[in-house]
Amino acid sequence: MQYMFIHAIDEGLQWQEGLETEVQATLEVWLEESIRSGVNLQGSRLRPTSDATTVRVRHKEVVVTDGPFAESKEQLAGYDVIECENVDEALAWAAKHPTALIGSIEVRPLFGDPPRMQLPEQKATTLRYLLVVTVDESVELSAEEQTRMGPATEDWVAKAEAKGARLYGSRLEPASTAQTVRVLDGQVIVVDGPFAETKEQIAGFDVLECADLDEAIDLAAKHPMARFGALEVRPFWPFEES
Amino acid sequence: MVEPLNTSVELAESAVTDAFRNEWGRVVASLVRRTGDWDLAEECAQGAFEKALARWPGDGVPDRPGAWLMTVARNLAYDRLRRSTRESAKLKELATLEFNQPNDGTADFEDDDGPASHESGQPDERLMLIFTCCHPALALEARVALTLRTLTGLSTAEIARAFLVPEATMAKRLVRAKHKITNAGIPYRVPAGGALFQRTSGVLAVLYLLFNEGYSASTGSELVRTNLCDNAIELTRLLVEMLPEEPEAKGLLALMLFHHARQRARVDERGDVVTLEDQDRERWNHDEITEGDLVLATALRRGGVGSYQLQAAIAREHVRVGETSSTNWRAIVELYDQLLLLTDSPVVELNRAVAVAMCDGPSSALALVDRIDASGRLEGYYLLPAVRADLLRRLGQRDDAAGSYRDALKLVGTEPERRFLETRLSEVAD
Repeated sequence: MQYMFIHAIDEGLQWQEGLETEVQATLEVWLEESIRSGVNLQGSRLRPTSDATTVRVRHKEVVVTDGPFAESKEQLAGYDVIECENVDEALAWAAKHPTALIGSIEVRPLFGDPPRMQLPEQKATTLRYLLVVTVDESVELSAEEQTRMGPATEDWVAKAEAKGARLYGSRLEPASTAQTVRVLDGQVIVVDGPFAETKEQIAGFDVLECADLDEAIDLAAKHPMARFGALEVRPFWPFEES
Repeated sequence: MVEPLNTSVELAESAVTDAFRNEWGRVVASLVRRTGDWDLAEECAQGAFEKALARWPGDGVPDRPGAWLMTVARNLAYDRLRRSTRESAKLKELATLEFNQPNDGTADFEDDDGPASHESGQPDERLMLIFTCCHPALALEARVALTLRTLTGLSTAEIARAFLVPEATMAKRLVRAKHKITNAGIPYRVPAGGALFQRTSGVLAVLYLLFNEGYSASTGSELVRTNLCDNAIELTRLLVEMLPEEPEAKGLLALMLFHHARQRARVDERGDVVTLEDQDRERWNHDEITEGDLVLATALRRGGVGSYQLQAAIAREHVRVGETSSTNWRAIVELYDQLLLLTDSPVVELNRAVAVAMCDGPSSALALVDRIDASGRLEGYYLLPAVRADLLRRLGQRDDAAGSYRDALKLVGTEPERRFLETRLSEVAD
């Protein structure tokens, strides 16, 4: 079973002395163990919300705004795609990750069983982005829109992959299936539900590789969900860069 | 060797000031394009102007100040990058363009003259700079700050004072914007094809915001605030020059010029508001009106119609007559009708109501104002009750007028406008 780890951190967090080194050390161990055991298929740290851009299409107009898809105390800071036997195993892995200590990790099953994939080596001249597809789950699509969504999305994926602009992606099970992990005072706390009770919730994601932000925005605007939701374009933040 | 044209220190200093206004944006744009390093670009531009201030009084003002400044700035950048071993890629970029020594003012700088294409059809670098600064992925306030900083050369401290925020806040805003450009991959280019139209509206919106910030600054405000109008007009002129096919840029320029022409007559010596009908038209800047007329006429020749062109046409109706009583209000109402087809704005509807009052009398306008009020779309906007109060006053309904003036006073923002409303209130509330 595949799951997405959605790492969420309060960007206003004051880092106590020594915490950064501790987190760094724990992270290195976690990555090494999770990759070695085949649990960690792919993932990346993400740039903060000050580098985020959100794309919506309303009344046929592309609306581009600075910032994340929603304001919340904790904000998306990274992602992983994890493969485990069952959700308890996934939650156990999440509990050992340093984000659970300083923030929270939302564990959400991937929809269906998408192919396992590691990301290829990044080209020197491109940038990678996580395209976070979000939607207000209470908004009902018409029957016609619902039937068209699947094929329209497949078409979008095919075109983006043909250009080499989309490397991977997946729809997620609804937010009600999420479980969020935190470690407080040494205790592992698991709560049903997503990391933030925002109106818009993450419905899926894609990993984009583009020459620049305009290309990524263009792709986001063409996504069939752009008319109904908000698509956030968040740049990858490799660990090698400070 | 450059012949010293003039050894007067004052002349040299004024030449530096002129060069600063004309060349800052060009120098910064060129360096940003070549090095991709915004901070480096600003620092080297600053260095070049400092050198000019030091050298021109003694050596004389060069034949081509722009070329001189560009060479010096590029050489400063070259030196800085050479010293930093991590920057070898940027260095190669700079080195492929031929550098000359600073004292040779006759270097091949054809590509730095003239506003439009140079370097084999490449767009003016300032155009690339302005589109990048105004990219929609940047927060609006960041776009405004970055545009000012890189294109007009205002210092961070001056921009902070212009927008009434602490310098540290403005510095942080600029740093964040530049980081986002790098981290998120905002490209340094003029958008191509279909995107150009939409992105141009974005640029115009930033320039209009800049203008309004300066225009709404009350008397007694710092000069750097009221000068925002001049900055906005200059940048819009630049845009018009670089995008001759874009009529809305001309529309915006005309609109700014028509408003700005009345700047000195809008307030009296005590800083009180002077209504349009009471303004001393001798104090209007007729050169700006003439320029506005010309620019608007050129725009309208293209046949298409846009929101700034319409707003400019409306503003023009106000300034082209000898006295307010000759104003063609019917034409103004028709222009507002067209504007409302393009933009569903309650403020425009309110302005139209004011014009309707001048054509058909206050009662019909009152019905329109009440309808806007009922929609709730102008909740908290002081001009709604202010307009209603004025209409009621003209209808002789003094008590109701007083009530509306009081409503407006609860919402009004600036001191001069407050005093104006209070005066009107005292006229109806005796």
